[in-house]
Amino acid sequence: MSQVQKRYHRFGIWERAEHLVLILSFTLLSLTGIPQKFFLSPISQGVISAMGGIETIRVIHRIAAAVFLLEAIYHAVVVGYKLYVQRKGATMLPGVKDGKDAVQWFGYNLGLHNKRPKMPRYNFMEKAEYWAMIWGLALMGLTGLMLWNPIATTNMLPGQFIPAAKAAHGGEALLAVLAIILWHFYHVHIKQLNKSMFIGTLSRHEMEEEHAAELEMIESGALPPEPHPAEVRRRARVYLPVAGVLALALAGMTYYFLTFETSAITTIPPISDGPVFVRATPTQAPVTAVPESAGGALVWAGGIGPMLQAKCASCHGSTGGYSVETYAAAMEAITAGEPENSSVVELMQAGGHPGMLSDAELQQLIEWIDDGAPEGAEGAAANAPTTWEGGVGALFEATCASCHGSMGGFSAETYDGVLEAVKPGDPDGSQVVELMRAGGHPGMFGENERNIVINWIQAGAPQQ
Amino acid sequence: MKGTVYKVAPGLLAVLALALLAAALWTAAGATPAQAAAGLANPETAELLKIAGAVPLAQKPDNDLCMACHGRPDQVQTFPNGDTISISVDPEVYAQSKHANLACTTCHTNISTYPHPENPANSAREYTLQYQNSCNQCHPGQAAETKDSAHANLPPEHQDNAPTCADCHDPHAQPDVVTDDQGDPVPAERGRIAEICSACHASIVEEFKQSVHGQALVEEANPDVPACNDCHGIHNIESSRTVEFRLNSPQLCAECHTREDIMSKYGISTDVMNTYVSDFHGSTVTLFSKERSGEDTNKPVCYDCHGVHNIMATDDPDKGLAVKENMLASCQRCHPDASENFSASWMSHYIASPTRYPLVYYVNLFYSIFIPAVLGGMGLFVLSDILYRTGVTRRRKKVEAAPPAQDQADNTPKE
Repeated sequence: MSQVQKRYHRFGIWERAEHLVLILSFTLLSLTGIPQKFFLSPISQGVISAMGGIETIRVIHRIAAAVFLLEAIYHAVVVGYKLYVQRKGATMLPGVKDGKDAVQWFGYNLGLHNKRPKMPRYNFMEKAEYWAMIWGLALMGLTGLMLWNPIATTNMLPGQFIPAAKAAHGGEALLAVLAIILWHFYHVHIKQLNKSMFIGTLSRHEMEEEHAAELEMIESGALPPEPHPAEVRRRARVYLPVAGVLALALAGMTYYFLTFETSAITTIPPISDGPVFVRATPTQAPVTAVPESAGGALVWAGGIGPMLQAKCASCHGSTGGYSVETYAAAMEAITAGEPENSSVVELMQAGGHPGMLSDAELQQLIEWIDDGAPEGAEGAAANAPTTWEGGVGALFEATCASCHGSMGGFSAETYDGVLEAVKPGDPDGSQVVELMRAGGHPGMFGENERNIVINWIQAGAPQQ
Repeated sequence: MKGTVYKVAPGLLAVLALALLAAALWTAAGATPAQAAAGLANPETAELLKIAGAVPLAQKPDNDLCMACHGRPDQVQTFPNGDTISISVDPEVYAQSKHANLACTTCHTNISTYPHPENPANSAREYTLQYQNSCNQCHPGQAAETKDSAHANLPPEHQDNAPTCADCHDPHAQPDVVTDDQGDPVPAERGRIAEICSACHASIVEEFKQSVHGQALVEEANPDVPACNDCHGIHNIESSRTVEFRLNSPQLCAECHTREDIMSKYGISTDVMNTYVSDFHGSTVTLFSKERSGEDTNKPVCYDCHGVHNIMATDDPDKGLAVKENMLASCQRCHPDASENFSASWMSHYIASPTRYPLVYYVNLFYSIFIPAVLGGMGLFVLSDILYRTGVTRRRKKVEAAPPAQDQADNTPKE
């Protein structure tokens, strides 16, 4: 009974504490690292979101990495203490026997071997895991620090070491996590629940199965004797200061590397693109070309008149005051032969008027005034229609009939209709002329057209 | 005339006749243009008009009346604040426009008489806005889209610069947009878009025209390159200054840049998106865009390195990122201490191969063999243990081998 219930010491409290730290940092590293490797999977995105977003998990990852590195330094100190000060055997070193044990274990499981191997304090399964951990630590630490300090790294190494480090970091991470799940979880949690990492001891049965060789040594008293306490103290006095300094140096280096580079973590915001709202230079309004009269001289009719009407009539038309609608009215601001005494010219030269002639237009205006500001309607009048059917009717039709048509009221479509507003022989007494002279009517005869109509009325408004 | 009827024929019959006459007048010619236009507020009427392509012909002569003045060039309206706008309509251009069949008063509902009622507008802007609602009557879909756009939601101090419909679509000149079989504007139409945008975004369009996209659009009418609207939309133009726009912008570029049929013509890789996304910068941006937290990231999107409107071909000596100095300069915008080697740590959208980034290629190759090998070995061991413990292999051993007792002894506690 007592044989069976006897517990065999395996891990001290500090070793168990180390393991807890390792669980914590490894789990955090995996939880924050693997989702980064497989970030396109919805599961990863859910995990990342749940832990506060990608930037947050990167911070957690780095903190866990720092803890992991510090734990590694501590472990190195402890291993040194055990080997040098306590003179314990290097029981974790792999040897040929471990290979043989593995083959025998495998064979036994398959029924090819009739005995389990008698295994030492650390069996081949544990050694494989331990050394995989050491290898992983070195590789993950190295590649991790490279990724943490890409600028410093590329100061020494070619650029492609960074993506290569990332590939290795990710590949090794995947291997480590899967190996832990497959190998570690199976052997210490699933196959049987090995509680030694939490309670510190193993049962005799567990010892027989996993560490039969060590059990034999314990029972036969073949274990090496504990070193003399005085000797331990003497060696500790040498070791602890040296190890302390080395550990501090390593911790300092870790701190140095972890905080060395800031520009890869905090970046400068990109440069702005410049002003968005910039109006295009407006297109110049088209310049009305002033047609010259047949003789080449500038005249009012069909030349200066339409130009001024186009440019000025929206104000100086029907609204009262100065008007350019007719030659006579326009001449109120024009002194023939004296451009310098014409207020139109003065005003244009002074500038600042709401509507302005272009330089070319003004030049033509001045030339025209210089020439005596000829009205020049004679030429047009010579060929002008003189009868209703000979063209005057068509003029009314074109200019007035869109309103004064068949819709009722005054009609400009028929000779009789037009006579309602025309007094033959008396242009001044005719409503049509009055209306056109007053200006402001929605439809207006041009200057030439008006003269034609006036001449026609003067001549008795003949129908044929 | 109506009065005459009423006087000579008093009584119920006369009243009835008057009513009939009034009704007839109303339907035939009596409805004022303003009332007819108001009828357009009814979408059904608007639709009918669109289909028929016509406005009641009785109104057509009105346009001649308006054109009598407004058909002349250089008609200018000056506003109290000094603004001037052209109020001329070229009758020939109008006749070719999409609106040729509409009466002027269909849109200019506030003008039905001459002299025109005094316009209260103080500025050209106020004047233009008076007619904004006219467009909505027949184009409610586009109007609604525009209302949600960045243009319609400018901050108050910039409201005066926000474009109205007419600022982009001259209602007196807007021609039919020529489209292809798919209903997309033909290349020549797409070339005009930049011109329209340049009215207000002149410097950007100028920059765009120098870019690899803009040059091909303006000079060759190349259908493969984007016009403004391909990235920014047409009526529902989204603000490009939001976090959301920035984070989703790689998708926008990828729409064309992952299309083999387009990219193969120019020898451009279609791996640009997946290589970006699998890199640190791209994966961060992707995660931020998926999280939708509204937070921005300082990691670059496509345009942070390639430029926005001034994107050049990668071999462009001044801007192209295939030129080492340009690439480094681009890196240094965010990583000021970056050295020449640093820029090569970004694999320039390449996938690692034995000749390009061989170290990366071989590391990946190593792990693609190493991981299955290690896990396979472990798996075999674990499997053998499972077989033993579940009794599969143990039972066989019992039959074959003589001393099975030891195993059983192992499992029974010794007293």
